[in-house]
Amino acid sequence: MATTTTVSLPLPTSSRRGLRGGRILRGVSQDRILGYLFLFPALLVIVGLVAYPFASAIVMTFQAKTAGAPGRFIGLDNYRELFGSEQFLRAVINTVAYTGIGVGLKFVFGLSMALVLNQERFCNNLFRSILLIPWAIPTVMSALNWRWIFDDASGLINNVLVRLNLIDETISWLSDPHLAMLSVIIVVVWQGTPFFTMSFLAGLQAIPKELYEAAEIDGASMLQQFSYITLPRLQPIFITAVMLSAILTSAGIQFVLILTNGGPSDRTMIFPVLAYHLALGGAQRLGMGAAVSLVFFPLLVIFIVFLTRRMLREKGE
Amino acid sequence: MAMRVTTQRRVFKGVGNGALVLMVLWTLIPFYWMIATSLKHDKEIYGYEATLIPERPTLANYATVFRETPYLLFLRNSMAIAVGSTILSMVIACLAAYAIARLNFPGRALLARGLVFTYLVPTSLLFIPMFAMMSMLRLTDSLHGLIIAYLGFDVPFCTWLLMGYFKSVPFDLEEAARVDGCNRVGALVRIVLPMSLPALVVVTFFSFTHAWNEFLYAHVFTSTTNARTVTTGLVNFMSQDVFFWGPLMASTVMSALPPVLMFLVFQRWVVKGLTLGGVKG
Amino acid sequence: MPTTRREILKTAGKTAAVVTTTAPWWLSRRAHAARQAKLVVWNPAALAPQVDKIMQEQCYAYAKQAGIKENEIDYQIIGGPQLVPKLVAALEAGNPPDITRLGGGYVQLYRSQGHLLEVTDLVNKMQKQQGGLFPVSLPSVMHEGKAWGVPQSISPWPLVTRLDLLEAAKVDPPKTWDELIEVCKKLQKPPKVTGFGLCLGLQNDTDNNVMNMIWCYGGKLVEADNKTVALHSKGTIAAVQLIADMFSKHKIIPKGAIAWDNTGNNKAYQSRQVIFVLNPTSIYAHLADSDKELYNVTGLLPVPAGPAGAVEELTTAEWLLFKKNPYPEVAKGLAEYWMAPENLRVMIEEGDGRWGPPFKNMYDSKFWKRPVFQHWRGMLERGRQFPAPGAMNPAAGEVLATYTIGRMMHRVLVESWNVEKAVVEAHKKVAEIYARYQGA
Repeated sequence: MATTTTVSLPLPTSSRRGLRGGRILRGVSQDRILGYLFLFPALLVIVGLVAYPFASAIVMTFQAKTAGAPGRFIGLDNYRELFGSEQFLRAVINTVAYTGIGVGLKFVFGLSMALVLNQERFCNNLFRSILLIPWAIPTVMSALNWRWIFDDASGLINNVLVRLNLIDETISWLSDPHLAMLSVIIVVVWQGTPFFTMSFLAGLQAIPKELYEAAEIDGASMLQQFSYITLPRLQPIFITAVMLSAILTSAGIQFVLILTNGGPSDRTMIFPVLAYHLALGGAQRLGMGAAVSLVFFPLLVIFIVFLTRRMLREKGE
Repeated sequence: MAMRVTTQRRVFKGVGNGALVLMVLWTLIPFYWMIATSLKHDKEIYGYEATLIPERPTLANYATVFRETPYLLFLRNSMAIAVGSTILSMVIACLAAYAIARLNFPGRALLARGLVFTYLVPTSLLFIPMFAMMSMLRLTDSLHGLIIAYLGFDVPFCTWLLMGYFKSVPFDLEEAARVDGCNRVGALVRIVLPMSLPALVVVTFFSFTHAWNEFLYAHVFTSTTNARTVTTGLVNFMSQDVFFWGPLMASTVMSALPPVLMFLVFQRWVVKGLTLGGVKG
Repeated sequence: MPTTRREILKTAGKTAAVVTTTAPWWLSRRAHAARQAKLVVWNPAALAPQVDKIMQEQCYAYAKQAGIKENEIDYQIIGGPQLVPKLVAALEAGNPPDITRLGGGYVQLYRSQGHLLEVTDLVNKMQKQQGGLFPVSLPSVMHEGKAWGVPQSISPWPLVTRLDLLEAAKVDPPKTWDELIEVCKKLQKPPKVTGFGLCLGLQNDTDNNVMNMIWCYGGKLVEADNKTVALHSKGTIAAVQLIADMFSKHKIIPKGAIAWDNTGNNKAYQSRQVIFVLNPTSIYAHLADSDKELYNVTGLLPVPAGPAGAVEELTTAEWLLFKKNPYPEVAKGLAEYWMAPENLRVMIEEGDGRWGPPFKNMYDSKFWKRPVFQHWRGMLERGRQFPAPGAMNPAAGEVLATYTIGRMMHRVLVESWNVEKAVVEAHKKVAEIYARYQGA
């Protein structure tokens, strides 16, 4: 069905008409220069700011190093010590589970809420702002607050459950080995869902309503509309959001550090916390701490390359 | 056929409303707990006497925050840093994201990925060599130093998010514009950015809240009170053995408000679903 | 070049603008010297805000007397858990503060890394004041005859007790651990009031509490030669078994203690949920301000005895002065000023006994003669530090900081390991740590 093309945005007019129509063909080499130019500031920031500390951190993994002193090169000894440690292997499993479940839940909740908030509704703006609140609170404070909520005696949950006579003994959310990881994940999800919600919502809002209306006239069901219109449009955003969230979640220490400090008995010990303990506690072995932090490095690189392959294909989208 | 869809829609709406209510409750209850704690006396906070609703609400904790710490100064600092780093990040990120999303040049994929690789060294380790470098460059203990430090986190983050959104903008429109004689920069400024307005708002918000809430760098890189931010000021209340929960929560509640209020304001500028005709061809 | 000059200039201009605003570090060679301050103090927050204030006032008073202007002082009060990350980063960057305060073996750690200023002259001066220093303050700072830190305080860890509950039930304070179990079982009313708030989380408090009980049963961490690890012994096993029974059989320890942090037992006591805790006077000092009622019925009793006797845990804190300091005499002067008995007295007494002074004769004052502190002298004399009979050194510091004892307890209480198995594993870990430090 041909419809007239009406673009409601002002287009640049004849001032540019002087340049010949052959622009598109020659655009490719223009692309190159422009591409580098546009990307340059971002790369400058990264190279200028982060490259040196990044390189230092990597070098540290091969050293026996304490603060304020040059490191002594010891090759792969740090890694050898790590792979022989049971605590480390525990941390591997924990980190994968923690990240996988955390990001998965955030994704599902985030997408559902984005779809819901995209509907017409009274006070939608208010709801959107409310759902944003967990993201607006510093992680440290959220963690402390939730620690309090989970507390045995004065905590909100136990308080309510006891008053409602639903339980006899208080639930030890943070000291029960079976509940500890769950409790930490609850907090991670509470804090991180707004990221997904808002990211997806922004994506949804950019999809013109006309597309849905046209599809509906053509007889598409809601599910079909979702699969053929919404999902493809959102796919790049899905990928970037999941990628960023996975990396940042797996590297976040605040929640575990404040809620359980890795316990009980290392049930919630994840990589970044182990690294923190090694680098700042006891002998303050920065080399070991760095080694732990970077163990996932190769895996994450593969993860990133694979996930973003589609998006970065040479021929554009 | 149309009937079915309308019923579907209604069902979806109903379920959606239910889910929304649950989600709002789930979000607000811990926040309520924060607010309630900030309004309670010590006695009501701890132990089995802990009340669900403050029985004798008090603003004493808020008063303590203002009395014990130069909170307004912290607020000013946080605001300056957050606004500064956000503006810079967004400008840099918009350019970079457009380049990655639309332009074709050798090494594009590698450079783009290079941005993300910086996250592979977690902040909880990176802060040590980062601080050493900042010290060398004499950038510690200053607002602009922190702004620059935050760029390292915000630029890749915003770039990648924006790239995802820019890719969702239909290419046809840009093509149409360029056929009409617009150049790349024009296409960016006149087509892509306006169409991604919701995304820009969201990404700006993320960048702002990151800088606003960031703790580790702000804590390690600043020494004098003059450069301290709201989050680092919070640690005044965490002593060796016991936390002062009341003032701590009061401080947190206050620090959560500016970002949320800002978002409320910016929301008005977000136009939902720009009206564009479909381009068939 | 297919593009017009206008095009290139425009984009180049935009990029240049962006680049210059993002790279001011090209321009940031500051005109003035990097370090203006003559005195950089990082004082971790004490429990009571009034103590923080007094210390700061005293610092500024010292500065005035030393001819240092206010804007030449950089004084920061830093929350406890935040101090170490900042310190590590500062050491790595090569600009640590001039002076800070830490306990738990940090003096020996940083001394072994060459970061500290030698302060033997200061400590010798202190030995001539107020009857000299308690012997127990010295091992943390001495190494091969030289002093590398200034002893700041000694804190015994008494059995903090709800005297009112004992009185009401007409029960005497427990003299042995078995008696403690009986008293707890008799007086506790779970879940509202549990008997013994023993810290069992992965925190320093746990290692300290549990080691305390291990001593009472004859166990210890390491021998006096600081090399032979002695953890695996009948005494240790008995003590760990006792705790396991307290937790699972007699149920006199709150279940949540496994997840407590260093404030867990404080909070539990302050909210009247436990009858006994083992803790230094931080709780007591806090109560002075926040809960006078509870303050008045709180007793600071000697630790119950086990078959090997009764011993209290003692922790010490020291002032660390860093070598990388263009004005070392200023920092030393400040440490001396703060530790001058008149100034120290003010600090401690206004802080309601948050710390104990390290000087022997200072306990003869009216403040310390109060009935609540009647057992103090005894505790100071027989109290021990964590690695006793070994000395506080980097190895012991690492054992503490990696929560080795706490992990041992978790093996038994959470993973239901056999007690001896858990002790053997912990012993092995400690031995590994000590082996790594041979030569420090």
